[in-house]
Amino acid sequence: MKLKEFARNNRYTTMLIGLLVLVLAFFSATKGKLFWQGSLWQGMMFQFPEYGCMTLGLMFAFISGHMDMSFVMLGNFSSIIAVKYMIANVEEGMANSQIGGIILTAIGIALAIAVVGGIINSLLVSRLNIPPVMATIAMQLVWQGFSTALTKGYALPGLPSLYTEIGHKALFGFLPVPLLIFIVLFLVAAFLLKYTVFGEKLYMLGTNKKAAQFSAINVHGMLMTSYILSAVFSCVGTLIMVSTMGSAKADYGISYTMRCILILVLAGVLPDGGMGKIRDVLLAILTIQCIATGVNLFPSMNTYYGSLIWGGLLIIVLIASTKMTDNGPKKLKAPKKTTQKVA
Amino acid sequence: MSEEYLLQMSGIHKSFSGVHALDDVNFAVRPGKVMCLAGENGCGKSTLVKIISGVYTRDAGTVTFEGKEITKITPAEATRLGIQVIYQDLSIFPNLTVRENLAINSEITAGVKLVNRKRWDATAKEALSKIGCQIDLDAKMGELSIADKQLVAICRALLFNAKLIIMDEPTTALTKKEVDALFTTVRQLRDSGIAIMFISHKTEEIFEISDDVCIMRNGKNVYSGKTADLTKKDFIYYLTGRELEDDHFIPTNISEEPVLQVKNMEMKGKLHDVSFELRKGEILGITGLLGSGRTELALALFGLAKPSGGEIILNGKSVKIPSPIAAQKLRIGYVPEDRLTEGLCLQQPIADNIALASLKRLSSGLGLLKKSSIAKEAAIWVDKFSIATDDPRKFASTLSGGNQQKIVLSKWLSNDLDVLILNGPTVGVDVGAKQDIHALVHELANEGLAVMIISDDLAEVVVNCSRVIVMKEGSIVGEMTGDAITEDNILEIIR
Repeated sequence: MKLKEFARNNRYTTMLIGLLVLVLAFFSATKGKLFWQGSLWQGMMFQFPEYGCMTLGLMFAFISGHMDMSFVMLGNFSSIIAVKYMIANVEEGMANSQIGGIILTAIGIALAIAVVGGIINSLLVSRLNIPPVMATIAMQLVWQGFSTALTKGYALPGLPSLYTEIGHKALFGFLPVPLLIFIVLFLVAAFLLKYTVFGEKLYMLGTNKKAAQFSAINVHGMLMTSYILSAVFSCVGTLIMVSTMGSAKADYGISYTMRCILILVLAGVLPDGGMGKIRDVLLAILTIQCIATGVNLFPSMNTYYGSLIWGGLLIIVLIASTKMTDNGPKKLKAPKKTTQKVA
Repeated sequence: MSEEYLLQMSGIHKSFSGVHALDDVNFAVRPGKVMCLAGENGCGKSTLVKIISGVYTRDAGTVTFEGKEITKITPAEATRLGIQVIYQDLSIFPNLTVRENLAINSEITAGVKLVNRKRWDATAKEALSKIGCQIDLDAKMGELSIADKQLVAICRALLFNAKLIIMDEPTTALTKKEVDALFTTVRQLRDSGIAIMFISHKTEEIFEISDDVCIMRNGKNVYSGKTADLTKKDFIYYLTGRELEDDHFIPTNISEEPVLQVKNMEMKGKLHDVSFELRKGEILGITGLLGSGRTELALALFGLAKPSGGEIILNGKSVKIPSPIAAQKLRIGYVPEDRLTEGLCLQQPIADNIALASLKRLSSGLGLLKKSSIAKEAAIWVDKFSIATDDPRKFASTLSGGNQQKIVLSKWLSNDLDVLILNGPTVGVDVGAKQDIHALVHELANEGLAVMIISDDLAEVVVNCSRVIVMKEGSIVGEMTGDAITEDNILEIIR
């Protein structure tokens, strides 16, 4: 009975657990042992933190009722600057502690650029009233343009090995550093959303911006914070990606924008705002990573099918989500409306 | 079945998953008469209308139209029979012109594929001529006033040879003058033999316009018959199930010094040389037609509109109010005109809505949320205002208009205020909740709160205000206190 009530009040969580079980069952049935080998799962733990961090960031924009399309390109630009800084300053024969300092400074620079990018987005959207999708797509092009101009479109290799280790090292032999970073960001995001006045206001603002303004909430300030969080979180994701790749490039992770949107919609964090739970986002990230990894096990499904799979999945999820919201998954215990005849 | 009725419904039942929305409802509409369907919010009025128009299917009961029993109603069937519903949102296309709005339905039903401007023009002109109204056919629908939009909707209904027109709370957003104009049209339609079913919960209007009345409460009809056989007191008793008296506000605690002074406030094209004072313990009414500047004045005091000149003095100090945040710091609260778009986050819990403007007080330092204090705060107001909910964690959208308005009020009253501005505090609020809201405002004023009520509901202004300012075209044109506040006196200057 308790379980039934939980399922009714938490439709997305229930649906996601069901979906995850289904996905696991499917790959177990079709690939069996191949799917359950340890190295495969170890690989997943290294892969999802990149776009997981980006998804957590984008979640803030979505909950506030906004959209951010620029985060991957902004992240790439800031990491290119960071990489250039590292290449310029790290010299052969330097002590590790010295290199560590340079790396930390580079990361600081990247995050600072992300903050600026977030502020620009929020000014365009909330002060100049440009529709969020348009404004952030334009900024996406601007950042991509800067990055391409700086690198002439080539990848920037030559990172200090101390930095590339981040993306490949597992602490105590089992805890990948990227995963650890993701866990930290996840806890920060969960804390902000669930236990702070900021989170409470963000949900209310996302539900009705005008009512929030009439309730003496600093709407501009809130939106700026949420865009900054979006930019900074995804910048961390890009920094992980750069470390894994061993280089920075203008168009790395270009497919992640859509993948993050897919994950959020799947988790019920719709860009209409004010909706969704962070635990559902975690479940959706894990589900998507299982699908990504599982599909790769089929030799005929090579990478050329990637767009088709993710695009198709996004459409299916979007259709499903309109059905879910029609009945109001968040309406607590509201009586179900049925028009069928009672005999 | 008697021929004297156009539409007769008896023993109508309808339930939604076990909850009775309609329970043995009986009523009848006579041709060429105005029938009022009255009831508080959530009593089943809308469900009944949706059964008549074929949107819902009844569980039991018989429906007879023009002497013929109708077993199954679908929306198309209802249109064919001559039943037209004008919903509150009017179902118009705001981006199209009046001509297009009028002609589009008949064009679509006729299955015409190509646009013929001449024919459209003819259809539209014919429609308008039916009630003899003058509206520019080339005007964009969205730019018309609500009253004009309504007229267009009525004309469109007439194009379908309507025999019964159902109007769902048509007067909610209208000023007194517009209501009068609408009533003239309604009488004109009635005299041409069309039956009108008029849904409302405003006592005065129902007595003014209707021949018959059907009063519903909790899904049952508690009275149906001639309006003339009913006194206003009986009416309110049937409507609410309790005897209500208009309690006039008697100020007991007015301060010597004004808490708020507005001096020569100017706003380009909106306000001109507005000056007044407000004392603690009084309820000041500000009334005027739509566009008289009453809302702009309120917005200027709440930091949402920028005055171009003048001075605001609060507790003896000259202040600037650039934003609602500043207004809140100066202990000014504002309950907005439109609670759905400006007052509430509908798809969020009742408790969170109540706490929204006082989160700072309800949290511990460092911006950490204290969920228990939010729940406690919500419980206080649910109790104090008798908000009809069993669980404040439910969404605000689950409540009726009156209870929603109580939430918006609670949101501001849980702040420590000096001045409370109420803009249209009981628009679309049923009689019972209206009484609750008025009583609480009286109590607060006598505890020392300075209250401003902005309203064009003159009955409300007369009952609740100890002083009234009348505005017209951005200026103050009259002021009255005490016994001089009567509807007639206000009407004399307002027009």
